[in-house]
Amino acid sequence: MAAEQSRLDELRASVIAELPNVDFVLGYARGFDPLHATPITVRTEADAARLIFDATCVQNLTTGLYGLKGKRIGLVVKGCDSRSVIQLIQEKLMERSELVVFGMPCDGVLDLAKVRVRADITQVRGAEVSGEEVRLLLPEGAKVLPRRDVLADKCLRCRYPNPLVFDHMIGQELEPAGVEDTYADLDGFEKLSPQERFDFWKRQMSRCIRCYACRNACPLCVCKHVCLADSREPHWLSAEATLQEKWLFQVMHALHLAGRCTECGECQRSCPMGIPILLLKRKMNRELKAVFNYEAGVNPEAVPPLHTFLMEEDKIKDRGQLW
Amino acid sequence: MVAKFLATDALADIAAAWARAYRLLAPVREGQAVVYRPWAKDMHPFLGRPPTVSAKEALFPQTENLLTYTYRKDQNDLTRTEVFLAEPLPQEPTVLLGCRPCDARGRKLLDRVFLERGVKDNLYEARRKATIFVSVACDRLENTCFCHWTGGGPTSEEGSDVLLFTVAGGYAAKALTEAGERLLAALPEAPAPAQEELAAKLASPAEPGPAPDLSAAPQAFLALFDNMDFWMDQSARCLSCGVCTYLCPACSCFNITDEPSGMKGKRLRTWDTCMSALYTLEGSGHNPRVSRAHRLRNRVGHKFCYHPQEFPAMDKKPGGQPEFSCTGCGRCIKACPVSVDIRRIVHDILEKGGKP
Repeated sequence: MAAEQSRLDELRASVIAELPNVDFVLGYARGFDPLHATPITVRTEADAARLIFDATCVQNLTTGLYGLKGKRIGLVVKGCDSRSVIQLIQEKLMERSELVVFGMPCDGVLDLAKVRVRADITQVRGAEVSGEEVRLLLPEGAKVLPRRDVLADKCLRCRYPNPLVFDHMIGQELEPAGVEDTYADLDGFEKLSPQERFDFWKRQMSRCIRCYACRNACPLCVCKHVCLADSREPHWLSAEATLQEKWLFQVMHALHLAGRCTECGECQRSCPMGIPILLLKRKMNRELKAVFNYEAGVNPEAVPPLHTFLMEEDKIKDRGQLW
Repeated sequence: MVAKFLATDALADIAAAWARAYRLLAPVREGQAVVYRPWAKDMHPFLGRPPTVSAKEALFPQTENLLTYTYRKDQNDLTRTEVFLAEPLPQEPTVLLGCRPCDARGRKLLDRVFLERGVKDNLYEARRKATIFVSVACDRLENTCFCHWTGGGPTSEEGSDVLLFTVAGGYAAKALTEAGERLLAALPEAPAPAQEELAAKLASPAEPGPAPDLSAAPQAFLALFDNMDFWMDQSARCLSCGVCTYLCPACSCFNITDEPSGMKGKRLRTWDTCMSALYTLEGSGHNPRVSRAHRLRNRVGHKFCYHPQEFPAMDKKPGGQPEFSCTGCGRCIKACPVSVDIRRIVHDILEKGGKP
């Protein structure tokens, strides 16, 4: 707890020291209850006093950063979030010099969807993560959950607990605990027949309300108002809320993210209807890894494989002579 | 009037019986969401918590056909085309099961827009007349609930036709309208213990705690209207998505689009959201609400300033606060990916805008 406090003090001091050099700093504050954090803009020392950092700081603050181009922004990032920063820089959507990055080594954030199946948190009064326990204060008393059971999936396989890009590293760097991603979830899903898989998606997508939280929460969805979902000319999608329209958008989203998605999971976390859309992006990423041995958002100097081409690709068989 | 009884293990049968006489929309669990589905065999209605979506889709569906049209060429003179229009069919009698008092109160707010101002909306009116709301009274308030801020409460009867109270072994049902009475007619009376439990519940409902006085909110909002730094900070990381507006029981904005397909087509009405930049994007390319801050300001302003100005509530009690376009269901808070809290915004408005 003392270490937590001193790290928070370090973050706040570091942010305050940078305030004269930035338009504002994006960080986390406590949200409407102990299990929710909410992003804030820090402009003053008083704002900085509201900053927190813990396992409830789930949001990826790089989302929408592209819209702030031209400003100089301070940004609190976790290891996973830093990969979005790298991806934005790679794609020349952000200038590194426009950012002041406060890197937070992170040993995992909570997945509230996992917490919800284990406890009714609609009236939670307190929450404490310490060691391997998450202790919830509920009206009926305390409830302790094993931390590993309620961490986000991405945290269980995290290989980048320390931000890969930063100006200030706040606190001690951590040993990566994660192992190579085996895509076990995807394997399980792909064992189903094509018909079963399609039925699964039809069931899931039928409750989509087309709010586009998935798109807007994605740090790499940068098409703004020319998104196919919004376009009338050409008329890709009807305004009708049918399965077909909902599904077409998700497929297009996954394809546009191929080789760019860092699996921060914001699309799935943001879905109010609990649709497991990250699975689609993981499928794309596994293919990209297999074909190009490429992982998005790790090396600022790299060029995403679908942004370029080689005359002869190692693993793509040409369909015979083209000319 | 004696309450009727819906035993928990008879709920599916009761629902099935209703579904024979009405189009029944019942809440079911799908993954972590609770959504309304048209009744189907083997469905298990779930009344255990407030549905993820609001009940407005029963009256104001996400997509509806305003009309269908067909063009026909005159075979003798191909320069002449006739257009034939077909209007949608009249509404089936519908029962919506399992909404909450906050959802039912949303009906009044939708009525204001669709029935009480200018031209009556025929489609809405037809649905409104044909739909029975069977609500479940709340035993507890979630962290996101604030129905008592805007004139409601966990057992508020406003807008419901039937109100269900959880009692041992099932639900005690109180009919609030004639339509509700007809729906319950075939059900048995609640047994004595259930009657007693209901009486006890009505005598001491869940106490929501003190609510702030929001009477000054419209003026305070206007005082802050041009303070863009205030709105920038409030909307710090608003994603501009449609979660809050689409889940809101009171949000009523829609778009109208023609969806042509060859020589025929449909004119659709679909939910729209003021959180989207497209909502105000003009043909010229100019957008009067250019940032998230502008759009969030509009949503809060509409609910807590423009609505009370436009509808100075007919039923306002002397000294009471005006009617807001918000029932305090808290869905916008609970489902917001970045935890934007409209209570907090209203609180800050009162604090910062209330000062001279």
